[in-house]
Amino acid sequence: MNRTTKLVVILLLVVAAVCSLYIFRASTQTSAQQLQIYQHGTLIQTIDLAHVQEAYTIELKGENGAYNTISIESGRVCISHASCPDQVCVHQGWISDSTLPIVCLPNEVILEITGGGADLDTIAG
Amino acid sequence: MKPVFILPVLTMGLLTGCVTTQTPSASSQIFAMDTVMSLEVYGDGAQAALDNAVSTIYHLEDLWDVTEEDSEVSAINQSQGQPVPISPETATLLDQSKGLSQLTDGALDLTAYFAVSAWGFTTGDYRVPSQSELDALKTQIDYTQLSLNLEEQTATLPDGMRLDFGSVAKGDLGAILSEQLQNQGITSALLYLGGNVQTIGSKPDGSLWRVGIQDPSDPEQAALGVVEVSQKAVVTSGSYQRYFEENGETYWHILDPETAAPARSGLTSVTVIGENGTICDGLSTALFVMGLEDGISFWKQHPELDLDIIWVEESGNVTITSGLETTFQLTEAQSDREVTVIAP
Repeated sequence: MNRTTKLVVILLLVVAAVCSLYIFRASTQTSAQQLQIYQHGTLIQTIDLAHVQEAYTIELKGENGAYNTISIESGRVCISHASCPDQVCVHQGWISDSTLPIVCLPNEVILEITGGGADLDTIAG
Repeated sequence: MKPVFILPVLTMGLLTGCVTTQTPSASSQIFAMDTVMSLEVYGDGAQAALDNAVSTIYHLEDLWDVTEEDSEVSAINQSQGQPVPISPETATLLDQSKGLSQLTDGALDLTAYFAVSAWGFTTGDYRVPSQSELDALKTQIDYTQLSLNLEEQTATLPDGMRLDFGSVAKGDLGAILSEQLQNQGITSALLYLGGNVQTIGSKPDGSLWRVGIQDPSDPEQAALGVVEVSQKAVVTSGSYQRYFEENGETYWHILDPETAAPARSGLTSVTVIGENGTICDGLSTALFVMGLEDGISFWKQHPELDLDIIWVEESGNVTITSGLETTFQLTEAQSDREVTVIAP
């Protein structure tokens, strides 16, 4: 092998290593955060939270004037206003991973995030 | 030169080729028993097993809902001292609960429903009963007055007393679902039953389930710690779960059967980890009522129960039993807390 061939081989090996590392990391990383919105037990919307460009809100209407205002930002979600008496869902604030979903029990609304790399499977309490 | 060009492709293939085969799974979120439940079932037959689990939940909710007129618990409550026929599920639950009441010298008592509703914990119309009202209420709490006839499958409760399954229902549901799922060949599932956690086997990849324990001082945010389990129930009773404030005082839903008032034992939460959800649920309530010192003695006196316990005090200090020394750890944000390990 002459000098040029050696250089090419080394260069290609480096490229191969970098490529592999990149692909390997991408494949082991948890998938992007997906927000699932459930109302009365039915999945009504899925949002790719990681790719939200601009913050926006969703108004979720229920029976007898019940409502939940869902605020969506890049990588996180919260319920900013709700008609429920206890306001537990509003007080919970922002969530960005799967550890603890936001639940509005009176209005039967669940906001759940999958992906996003939380290291817990669930939470007791 | 040709082999050199193949090299990068080969290397990439080797490193990314270790894709595991996907385990079939099914999951569901439902509202039942006045709370939210989330079920994840893995393995062959996951969907059918999940569907059966959901029917079981609704069936038991119908039996055990104290606010429903035609539930079994309401039938017992309205029986005016006459024997009432009960289903095998209710008979088992009542039998086990009575056993736990005896074991804990009445720290767990299912007959506290009048007191629980006097405080408004059943409806959300909270109020502080007067001392004379509490004195009357506490005489209506006495699990020994509930009699069971397991052969004839009947329960008898004197008039003037009322049952509520709230302190054991979700734990028992976990135990029933765990058995049911395993009978259908499921070896991996995670059940979140309104704060109660029941795990079946380990995760599909064989590793342990990582269950967070809520921080009583900030329950809506990061966990206090993490416990790694397999085939276990993890159940927490905490003063933060249901409470109200009046004149600067906080009143929570875990009542001391001796006073008919919120149990002030210096604890903010007790987590019980063990194989049986009913035992874990009932004892998490009883141990909260007992307080740390009596709880530690109870644990030492009952090695046959094979339980592990996490106590969190109002001071923030954490006490764990020795079985958790390697499987429990505080989260990073909580690492400055003091953790005491109790040996048998």
